Amino acid sequence: MANDDKFINIKVKRQDGPDAAPYWEEFNVPYKPNMNVVSVLMEVRKNPVNVQGKAVNPVVWECNCLEEVCGACTMLINGVPRQSCAALIDKIYEQTGFGKQIVLAPLTKFPVVRDLTINRERMFANLIRVKAWVPVDGSWAIARGPRFADREQRWAYIISRCMTCGCCQEACPNVSNKSKFIGPSHIAQVRLFNTHPIGEMHKEERLDALMYEGGIQECGNAQNCRKVCPKEIPLTNHIAFMNKETNKYAFRRWRYR
Amino acid sequence: MDKKSNFFLRRIHSLLAIIPIGIFLLFHLSLNTTVFFGGRETYEAVINFMKNMPLVLVLELVIIFLPITVHALYGLWIVYVAKNNALNYKYGNNWAFYLQRITALITIVFLVFHVYLQRFSVHEAEAVIDSLTSILHNPAFFILYAIGLLAAVYHFANGLFTFLITWGVTIGDHSQKICRYISLGLFVVLGVWGVGILTVIAGF
Repeated sequence: MANDDKFINIKVKRQDGPDAAPYWEEFNVPYKPNMNVVSVLMEVRKNPVNVQGKAVNPVVWECNCLEEVCGACTMLINGVPRQSCAALIDKIYEQTGFGKQIVLAPLTKFPVVRDLTINRERMFANLIRVKAWVPVDGSWAIARGPRFADREQRWAYIISRCMTCGCCQEACPNVSNKSKFIGPSHIAQVRLFNTHPIGEMHKEERLDALMYEGGIQECGNAQNCRKVCPKEIPLTNHIAFMNKETNKYAFRRWRYR
Repeated sequence: MDKKSNFFLRRIHSLLAIIPIGIFLLFHLSLNTTVFFGGRETYEAVINFMKNMPLVLVLELVIIFLPITVHALYGLWIVYVAKNNALNYKYGNNWAFYLQRITALITIVFLVFHVYLQRFSVHEAEAVIDSLTSILHNPAFFILYAIGLLAAVYHFANGLFTFLITWGVTIGDHSQKICRYISLGLFVVLGVWGVGILTVIAGF
């Protein structure tokens, strides 16, 4: 093939362990059409030799579903947080020019485990905190619950596509090691489960959680979350709605106190 | 809500920005509009009227000083917490977010000077105007004063946009977009208005 002499040049921000210092390393991978960042990293794994010709440890990263539904392979690709499985090399070159260096780095708002692998546990812990589920377990069988109205389903389904990938958290200026902000995704999750006809029966618990330290009040309306969400969830609308709900709830709770 | 939550404080911070601070800002600009009509004498009369209002000290304390101090002090914390990334994510609203924090700091510095020079160091209406003109006759100080005023006005206009989201008034994309335009328009109108006032006073 005519592509034999063409290379994909990637520059990876590496880190040997959680406490090790980060460093940059470049790799050249033979170009083939229709590759994505994951398949480029797989080529590096097959032949882990950097541009200086030195054999190094293969680059460590996470990936799972390979179809943009699990969020595990999220990383900074040319500075933008996105899923590496959905980052097609040819599409990137359409924007930057063929053969232009592609820069890969781990997300900056999460602890690095190694190379491009990050620890997203904080997000899962916060999902537990806001009770992002419908509680139906009990000691005896209960009857069918109310149906999810079609009118609500249409927009709520879009929130349910959230895969806790961390893109919105990465882009949010108010998510940082100086704040405890739970992040945009979780505010939308509260709206999803507070809209669900069975989930709604426990909505006060989620509103309480949303008003804890690091809750919805930490939003500063920079609105980056909306722009970077790979699932196109209109996070800013959900945050505004939950602002209204938490304000109303706070006022009501105070009056009845 | 546990005891540690800053939910209440953040909402108070947001509310104070408009009631009373934003309303006071508009009132302040309106009063100074008298410089356009009747020149220095009318302006002096208006300052005298305001200074002789009953309970003026209480009003100044409750409507102006305390709200601004609380808003500014907690606002400094909010500025500190943000990890600004406008150069990485060059979206309009992200720039507005960054500018909101920059203008916050400029406004605090401006207000300290403004209040010290025009409120605490002079008392007679005539002396107040003299303190203003002596600053505004110097082109460099005029520009600094105008920057301070524009920062305050931007902070208010953009703050109005985020206020409406924080209180759940504008929820959808369309209403937020319309209010974004209104906020930009308000900044331009108030900015031109304010700098116009400064220009007239500089001509006294």
